[in-house]
Order: sequence, then structure tokens, then C-alpha cells
Amino acid sequence: MSDKTISYEELIPGYKFPPATHELSASLVSKYLKAVDSAGDGFVPPLAITALAIATMAGSIPLPPGTTAIHASQDLEFFKLVPIGTTIECHTGVVQKIARGKMSMLILGLEVFNKGKEKVQSGKATIALLT
Amino acid sequence: MLTEIREGKALNPVVKHITQEKINLYAEASGDFNPIHIDESFATKTPFGGTIAHGMLSLAYVSEMMASNFGRSWLSGGKLGAKFKEPARPGDSLTINGKIDCIEQKDDVSYANCNFECRNQKDETIVTGEAVVKFQSDRK
Repeated sequence: MSDKTISYEELIPGYKFPPATHELSASLVSKYLKAVDSAGDGFVPPLAITALAIATMAGSIPLPPGTTAIHASQDLEFFKLVPIGTTIECHTGVVQKIARGKMSMLILGLEVFNKGKEKVQSGKATIALLT
Repeated sequence: MLTEIREGKALNPVVKHITQEKINLYAEASGDFNPIHIDESFATKTPFGGTIAHGMLSLAYVSEMMASNFGRSWLSGGKLGAKFKEPARPGDSLTINGKIDCIEQKDDVSYANCNFECRNQKDETIVTGEAVVKFQSDRK
């Protein structure tokens, strides 16, 4: 779910991206496990959930022209096992926006819930924007 | 899985080899098609001089190491803070190591505080950070 109409300047602390829903199907998990070269353990890898949440959010960020976005740091907390087949809802938003000379940084927050509205994961991603 | 959880215990390491094919697979699986990861002609014009792996791919290896040492305790009660220090590149061989720094106990729940590092074949630090795992303690 993208929100391409917003400009980078409008991304201010407190801004919330539209919630995104993902079904963590067996095929999606299998594709992820192949990509990370892992056998898995019967549950959805927590980092697969984070990756989906971040990629969805990143697709909604209107980067200034000529900018390259790089992941600088990541904080995460996992609260529940997530069985394969679970549908999750990702809530993401801007926590902080920092400008230092030619480098800008966005600190983005994420919270992921299962269908029972139980929080399964939360975290913060710091994205450096290089020009 | 670790047979004993004690302070100073080294975690069983994970070793992974990065290829452009794996980076492309990760882009497909995650939906992150940032050209710095998958477009060589774009990436050569950036300060990185070539494609780099997704930070979340390296972090997935860290999470795999934690899961292989702590099992479901990691998946349902893990916490981490990671800094991406240098990019991982195609051709890199990454070794992820960790150690239990200290164990804290609150009521009947214990917390293993660990540090971890992901290094490449040149011994450069790619990712570094701390992780905490909540687990049931036998201690009374």
C-alpha cells in the first residue's frame, strides 16, 4: 500500500504510513528462507516480517532525486512466535528526521500485529540518505 | 542449541557466503529493489563503487545465529540493536559470532545479554550489536 502523493518535506516526525497487510504464506516464507540460505524452523523468521514491513514503508518514501538510501542501524523486539500462514498488519511511521550537511537520516518506527491484534514485533530503523 | 546458558559462553557461529544471486533473491523475497543492491551500473556510480548486500540480509544471518543457539526463546522473546558498519559485497564470506555477556534474572525469567559481530573474510566488521533473549530459568 503506497502513499506516493506525499513529498519528502512532508515526512515529519509523527507521520504515519498507511497500514499494510501481508499474508505470510508458505511460498513467501519458502522464498525468504531460500534467499537467506536457511533451513528455517517451522515458524516465520522474525526478520522476514521486518523486511516486509521496511520494504513496504521504503516504497512509500519519496526520496529526493539523486539520493541513495542506506540502512544504518536497526532495533527490534520480538514478542510472539508467528506461524506460517499468519496475516500480519504493519504500522509504520516517521519517528525522527535528522539533517547533517549532505547526509540526512530518517528514523522510522514499526509495529506489527497479528489478526488477534497481538503485537508480534516492534522496532526502529535508521535510514541514511546519501546525496 | 546451546547446551548450557552461562556468562562468557561463546555462541555457535554461522558462516555465510554472499553472492549477487543471493542478493537478487533477497530483493525478490523482501520486495526491496533499491538499485544499490541489484543494479551494477547504478551502484558503480555511488560512493560504494558496486552493489552491496541489503543490511537486512546480514541481519538475517545474525538472527539465524541467535535462533540456532536459543531456539524458540529467540523467536518469541528476542531483542536486538544492530549497527551496520560496512557494506557486505558479493564475494564476501561472513562469519557471525556472539557471546553471552551476562545473565540477569527477574522473578522466574532470565535474560541472556549477548553481543554479536558479523565480520567478512578481511576481518572487517560489517554488523555489530547487542541482543537479549528472554528464557525460563531453572534457578530458584
